Formats: sequence, C-alpha cells, structure tokens
Amino acid sequence: MILISLVLILILSMLASTAIGPVSIPLKGVFTALTNLNAQGTESIIISQIRLPRIILAALVGSALAVAGAAMQGLFKNPMADPYVIGISSGAAFGASIAIVVHLSVPVFAFLFAAGTAFLVYNIAKKNGRVPVETLLLSGIAVAAFFSAMTSLVMYLAGEDLHQIVFWLMGGLWGSDWGKVTVAAPFIFLGTIGIFVFSRDLNAMLLGEEHAQHLGIEVENVKKILLVLVSLITGIAVAVSGIIGFVGLIIPHIARLVVGPDHRILIPVSALIGAIFLVWADTLARTIISPTELPVGIITAFFGAPFFIYLLRRKRGNI
Amino acid sequence: MMLNAKNIETFYGDEKILDSVCLSVKKGFTGIIGPNGSGKTTLLKSVSRVLEPASGVVLLDGKDIYKMHAKDAAKDMAVVPQDTSVKFDFTVKEVVLMGRNPHLGRFEIEGTRDMEIAEDAMKLTNTLHLADRPITQISGGERQRVIIAKALTQEPMVLLLDEPTSHLDINYQSEILDLIKGLSKKMAVLAVFHDLNLAARYCDELVLLDKGGVSALGRPEDVITPKNIESAYGIEVVVKREPEGLSIHPRRKPIKPSKGRVHVICGAGTASFLMNALVNHGYMVSAGVLNENDTDRDAAKELNIDMVEEKPFSHITGEKHRQNLELIRHADFVVLTDIPFGRGNLRNLEAAAQAVKQGIPVVAIDECGIKERDFTGGRAAKLYNELKTKAQVAGNYMDVVELLEKKCGLK
Repeated sequence: MILISLVLILILSMLASTAIGPVSIPLKGVFTALTNLNAQGTESIIISQIRLPRIILAALVGSALAVAGAAMQGLFKNPMADPYVIGISSGAAFGASIAIVVHLSVPVFAFLFAAGTAFLVYNIAKKNGRVPVETLLLSGIAVAAFFSAMTSLVMYLAGEDLHQIVFWLMGGLWGSDWGKVTVAAPFIFLGTIGIFVFSRDLNAMLLGEEHAQHLGIEVENVKKILLVLVSLITGIAVAVSGIIGFVGLIIPHIARLVVGPDHRILIPVSALIGAIFLVWADTLARTIISPTELPVGIITAFFGAPFFIYLLRRKRGNI
Repeated sequence: MMLNAKNIETFYGDEKILDSVCLSVKKGFTGIIGPNGSGKTTLLKSVSRVLEPASGVVLLDGKDIYKMHAKDAAKDMAVVPQDTSVKFDFTVKEVVLMGRNPHLGRFEIEGTRDMEIAEDAMKLTNTLHLADRPITQISGGERQRVIIAKALTQEPMVLLLDEPTSHLDINYQSEILDLIKGLSKKMAVLAVFHDLNLAARYCDELVLLDKGGVSALGRPEDVITPKNIESAYGIEVVVKREPEGLSIHPRRKPIKPSKGRVHVICGAGTASFLMNALVNHGYMVSAGVLNENDTDRDAAKELNIDMVEEKPFSHITGEKHRQNLELIRHADFVVLTDIPFGRGNLRNLEAAAQAVKQGIPVVAIDECGIKERDFTGGRAAKLYNELKTKAQVAGNYMDVVELLEKKCGLK
C-alpha cells in the first residue's frame, strides 16, 4: 500500500518537476513532449533532452544513495553511517579532481577511484578472513582523510580548474544526459535489487553479527557482498552527480520512521523516498536562483541537516 | 550424543585458550562453570561455529559443524549470546520470526506454519503479550525471554546459552532458569554459568573448566566439592546440601581476635547476627548453653567459637551450667539475648545473674519484652527484672556492638 502510494508520488513529482524550470512549460506541453520524445519544437527539446534525463538521473541517484545508506546503517548497526562512511566519496573526489585537471573523463575516474577506495579500505580492515565493522569504520576514516588531503593538494595546484572541482565536490546534476542515464540505470537497478535480496540477512545483522551467524547467515560473506553492492551503486551515483550529501543519511531514517526497521520494506521505501526527495531538491536547485542554479548538495544539506537535528532531539538516543 | 567436542584446542591469536577439551552434551541441562579466563565463553564459541578450533573436531549429531553450511547448523543448534541488547526497534514478533531464517530459502517469506512456530515459542516463553511491542522498550528479563523464543523458533535440538542470567535480578534469574530447565527435557541445553549456586541448583551435569582444560565433570554434587572449587577458583568454600540443592559459600577468613572476650548467653536463634558481628569486629566470642538443635548453635559452630552444648530438648544439667559459668568467668563482657525462658533453660538466666554478682559487665538485649517470653510462670520475669537494674540494656544486637566498641577500656 505504502509502496504504491510512494510510486504514485514519485511519478507525479517527476511530471511536475518536468513542467517547472526557467522556461515554464504548461502540463499540456509536457504531455506532448513525453508522448513523442522525438518531437521538435523548443518546449519538446527542453523536456526530452534537458529536463527528462536530469529528472530521471536525480531519481536514480536519490534512490541509490538512500538504499546504500540504509544498507550501510544496517551493516554497521550504526544510525550515523551513510554511503560515504568507508571513504568512497573522498576517493571519488580525488579521482574526479585529477580527471578535471588533466582533462579526462570525470565520471570514469570518479567511479574507478570510488571502487578502488572501497577495495582498499576493506583490505586494510581485513584480519584473519574477518572484517570487523569497527575496524572498517576506522580504516574508512583514515583513508578518507588521506584522500581529502590529496584532493586539497590537487585543488591548491589546480589553477583555473579549481572552480570546476569545487562545483563537482558540491554535487549537482547539471551535466545530466541520456548517456549517463543509460549507464547508471542498470547498475543502480541491479545493485538495489541485490541489496534487497539480502534484506533478511541485514535484519538479523542488526541484532548483532553473532546473532546473525547463529541464525545461519554467513556473516563475512554477506558483508563482503553488501559492501561490493553498496560501493557499486554509490560509486555510480557519485560518478554521475558528484558528492551529494545527507540523502544517504537522512532518507533511511525517515523511511524507518514510516515503516520500521525491517529491510524487506525499508529498502524499497528508502529507494522511493530517496528518489522523490532528490527530484524535488534538484528542482529547487535549478529554479531557486534562476536563471543560474545551485549545486543540489547545498539544497540537500540545507534541508537535511535541520531535519536530522529535529530527529535527534525528538527521539533522543534512540534512532 | 547430540553435541560432541573431541580434543579441541582453540587459540586467540597466539594464546591457547582451550587445551584438548572433550565435551559431550546430551538431552538435559549441562552447565559450564569455571573462574574468569578459564575459557567458558571460548568453549561455547568453539562448539557454536563462531571460533574454529585449531585442532580437534566438533560434531553436531555426528556431523562436523565447521564443514556444515551455516544454515544447516542453525537448523539444529540455536545460541543465545551474552549480549542481547538491540538498538533498532524491531517488534518482538519480528525478532522471534528471525528464528525461522535457517528454514527459509533466500526468496521465501514466512508462511502460516512459521507464524505458528513463532507463536508457540512466544507462548512457551511467556512473551506473546509483548508481540507488537518494540524490543527496545521492554525490560532486560523480557528481552532475554524474547531472544530465547527466537532461538526456539529455530526448532533446535541443541540450545546454547552464554550466561543467560548475568544481567538479571533474582526473580528474573529463576524465571529464566525454570524456563530453560523445562526446555532441557526436550533438547540438549548447554549454558555458561558465573554463579555456582545457580549452576548447582539447575544443572543435571556440570563441566568445570580450569585454565582451558576440563578439571571435573559429572553431577553437580560430584563436581562442586570444596577441593575442586579450591583448585580451580583458589578459594576455600563451604558446600552445603539444602532442600533446593547445593549451596556454595566462600569460607570465612578467620579474623584474628584482637579485642576482649565476650560471652553470649543465647538460644532460639536470637544471637546468630550478634555472634557474627562480634567475630567480625574482632572479639573473642564464646556462647552457652545451647541445645544441639538450636540455630544459634549452628551459627556458633560455623563461626568456630567456644560454646557449651546440651543435648537436644533436655534441661541444662548442672555440669553444663558449671561449664557455662567457667566461660563467663573468663569473659570481659557478658551479653544476654532476649531468649524465651522455660524451665529447661532458666539456668542461663541464673548464669547471667551470677556474672553480675562477679562484677562482670552484662548487657541484656530487651528487644522482645520479658512478659512475652516468660514460660516459667513469672520466675524468669522476676529474675530478669532484678538483673536489669544492674545490667546495661540494649534495644538490639547492633546497639550491643556499639556499646562494646565504646567501652574502649577493653584490651
């Protein structure tokens, strides 16, 4: 029931968002463009080539980050965890800034560095075939600090590319096109389904790894698989949109307030709320100071941080 | 034999924790006891597929558990870990249903049968009324029962528990252990115990671990002996058989008497606390005359103090009376407790009067008035009231101790 309502809200949000922008397009025009994506005319081209891929990408990235956040919070049994907790974002930032300076493909570099960081952190934390989450968290912090320093160094030396790096770091969806959508969609889709399949395992792991083990779950394997899937969808999300903060932290909390901690419902609900949230955040980002736009990362943090404080105060130590 | 460990050796890093331990657990309640660091929890982890032994084998129903799939092992063996706290607010029912995990395929969801099994487990553990409550909002004892219900939902043959009552207060302790005891009639239960008294009272079999090895094994009365406990825990204990089972207490360390001699005229359990307090304060205590079936006599015996004993239910004979007076003569102080007086022990009152005559300070406890404890038709009351004019009177045993402590003129 809640899933159906959320799907409807998402579709309506995406339609509404298509109509909103520097050039206001009446709903009739939106439908004309949507029913015939190859239609000519300014309005149709704005919709089919600019707004639609961007909105779809926002939905994809929003759901990827929310699902990754929910999985990380489950994996770490820590409500403060988010998709970037093992340093993926810092690695990606370093990769992206190098790519910007030497004029190579930013998404490709961002993704490779994101994946590489996850692999590195995992192996640093590994001991005797086990990866204790506490060690994982700490090695994530250490590696992230290292890459942040490297990124700062690149920025310091970047000269006129600095502006571009800063923009990338703030996260935004302005570079969206159908190409990014077609690359990101299958990975995010499959990755999300993959994580969803391990929902019951994640539930048991929330009781504690030992509990999970005694319930017949091969905890270390599940951890490894989940880390790969989370890194994959986070890496893709970061590659196409930069570092958008707070979505992966806040959305799972909101979803948990609505449906409780059972991942079998939490994961799909997080995906949908994440998508809806980022679609609206991006709509705001591109219209609030029209004709220029804000990085969407500013919007998500602007709304996300106060909301998170509200949650903390309301539930007090029991998130 | 449901769970069988043969010669297992387990290491933490380079440190050997378990050294060739053999253990077989069958239907019934088996307890693992041993001092801190003796390897109790490690043994439980080694037989529950958490910490693989470097050598030796652990068989569950004849199969090596470390070669089984986690799921197959979890179908036969459930574990209740020591830490049962849960941070995320699953409902009790959701947690209990997780016990079905080993029986469900990856894409399967719980069906009516799974629900029934979970419900039965909740009924058995008396948690059904909590089903829709968040597990974060129930008490520690309730949560422990919920986690046990989750384990039962696995439908195990073997149930392992790590200190199932360590964080619980006394009523929850017995509630949980009664529950586990009942379960052990249908399955093999192995539990780690910190508390020797609880282990002795509830278990059918005990395993005593010491420095990573099994030092004794068998029925509680054979395992918990002063000798075994002293060699493992390094403490002298008194083991008593009581109607509820064995009771184990550390033997009191002898306190060297450093203050004066106090003779206590007592009986009928009026002086157990007093004698204990006096000994603890360093007085050299003697007592008399006590019948052999008197609880004060048992207390005096345990405190290992000098006393004059008389046969059960008999009057104090002239000889015992004289012995009593002899002890009084050597005392610096005499305490007369509020004993009920009958014809048989009236001589105790006379002994106190004698002490006064000899100039030995006498303290009389008068918590319970003489009229209520005079069964001699007024003779005792007369003597007592006369005595009271020459003795100090105290309200209870603590006042006596205070009084004696103040009289620092004592050597």
